[in-house]
Amino acid sequence: MIRLQNIEKVYRTDTIQTLALNSINLDIEKGEFLSIMGPSGCGKSTLLNIMGLLDAPSKGSITIDSQDTASYSDKQLARFRNKKLGFIFQSYHLINDLQVLDNVELPLLYRDTTAKERRALATEALEKVGLSNRIKHFPTQLSGGQRQRVAIARAIVGKPEIILADEPTGNLDSAMGNEIMDILLQLNRTDGTTIVMVTHDQYMAQKTHRLVRLFDGSQVQ
Amino acid sequence: MFKHLFKLIWNKKKQNFLLITEILVSFMVIFAVFTLIVNYYQNYRQPMGLDYERVWVINYQNRVEIKDRDSLKTYYDNLLRKISSMPYVQEASFASSNVPFSANTHMNGVDYKKIHVNSVNYYEAGDTYHKVLNMQVTEGRWFSRVDDAGKVKPIVINNSLRKELFGTGKAIGEQTGGKDSKRVVVGVVEDVKAKGDYQKAGTAMYERVDTSASGGRGRILLKVAPSADAAFESRVYKVMANDPMNSGIEIEHLADKRVSINKTTLVPMIILLIIAGFLVVNVALGLFGVLWYNISKRKGEIGLRRAVGASGASVSGQLVAESMILATLALIVGAFFAVQFPILNVFDLRASVYIIAILLSVMFIYLLVLVCALYPGRQAAAIYPAVALHEE
Repeated sequence: MIRLQNIEKVYRTDTIQTLALNSINLDIEKGEFLSIMGPSGCGKSTLLNIMGLLDAPSKGSITIDSQDTASYSDKQLARFRNKKLGFIFQSYHLINDLQVLDNVELPLLYRDTTAKERRALATEALEKVGLSNRIKHFPTQLSGGQRQRVAIARAIVGKPEIILADEPTGNLDSAMGNEIMDILLQLNRTDGTTIVMVTHDQYMAQKTHRLVRLFDGSQVQ
Repeated sequence: MFKHLFKLIWNKKKQNFLLITEILVSFMVIFAVFTLIVNYYQNYRQPMGLDYERVWVINYQNRVEIKDRDSLKTYYDNLLRKISSMPYVQEASFASSNVPFSANTHMNGVDYKKIHVNSVNYYEAGDTYHKVLNMQVTEGRWFSRVDDAGKVKPIVINNSLRKELFGTGKAIGEQTGGKDSKRVVVGVVEDVKAKGDYQKAGTAMYERVDTSASGGRGRILLKVAPSADAAFESRVYKVMANDPMNSGIEIEHLADKRVSINKTTLVPMIILLIIAGFLVVNVALGLFGVLWYNISKRKGEIGLRRAVGASGASVSGQLVAESMILATLALIVGAFFAVQFPILNVFDLRASVYIIAILLSVMFIYLLVLVCALYPGRQAAAIYPAVALHEE
């Protein structure tokens, strides 16, 4: 489903050059739940951003669903992300000025869908994460766990084949973290969604199919 | 998408209130400026209604008291004859002090049956006044000696007054005024923009100068030949000044008076334009700053939108569209106040002036907001999504 070949990422400034990722080779199968672990600054999020086409590698190639995205224009990349990928972030990245339902509908705004369709799909996604009773609430009126569930609903509303989660339980206590993890596992099992999750939590990582460890930008496991 | 953006703006109404108010105030100022410009432009496009080139105005004061009306009339008739017979003088006529392009204004009300017209410009004019100024008589005739024998005083009115009093009906021979102020309309002339190129002609009536009553009205208008020069002007001055009846002689050129009166209209306009210009620059900088600040404050949201499928162009488009919606909200309120001007006829201007000014102001504000939003929008589009997501 996702193939990374010799991925290298170098950050350059006028005076310094930092190697964030070094020769990463990774094959992720369709329906796999993969976790990426490593100490802070080892390049986990950079790798996830590259997989999510939010950042471009300095070297190497990415193939997602047999499509080489290297030559894609900004518009094509945006469309590809919208159709194929769903994102979950540690800090939720909800828009506080929009109600829960509007937040969840957000990816569908960039598709050719009617307001009625968007509403139905968003309601369905919120039901999946157990938040159908909170659609009129604003994010600031929700707990951390609820916010992350809204973010998951937003990630799955467009029925993407891949979900990229950057420390989705990082800001939550263990009980809420487990709740979120259960939802992700459920999505992986029942919908066959491919999930790549960056985490610091060994316990959460053990629940996934495979664990990849990074250290100083290199893959060590 | 529009509904989504509207929701976003509505939910942030407190933050957007000041920006909307700023745009609203700008709209009202721009509306005032455009109203003046459109009004002046529409007036400017109207024909002047007279020839001002080579027309001189002799100002004089009658310093000798003559009680005998016939003597007074004879004296002033002779004076005009003397002036008219001078070389280079093509036409000469007595006039009241409110000659074209002067600052003096005389106004009267006029009644006709049940119609009352207020603020009608009132001029006293001699029998050749229309010839001096090359005014076009469209109906009837100008004053002449025939009127000496008339029982009712004759008047000539302009087209605007004719429309207000008689509409499409007959004007010549109709009598205006009450029992003691009866006048008969003997002629109709084209409108004359007596207050310069930028002021409307308005309604006007001309009454025959009665030299027997007051010895003229202090002004003589001369139409002179193209070759009339300063030496001739000096001769005219001497003829007037050497006469013991006259004092305070001054000769002006109508062309110069026109330039001067146009300045009295244009100078305040230019000052207003400069003030409005500063305001517009201020508003533009304010808008630009607010939009720029919004981008840095909303980097996380921009990154998120990019992640879930927005291209750089659609992010840029969104920010521009948000600004345009804010402008629209301000313009709806502004237009509501602006349309009251033609409805309530606040400044006695044509409704078309206000409507054109509203349209121009709306276009101007949209253009201003668009220009101010374009660059910040482009900057937002250039933000790399990974960087934007990382920064929140």
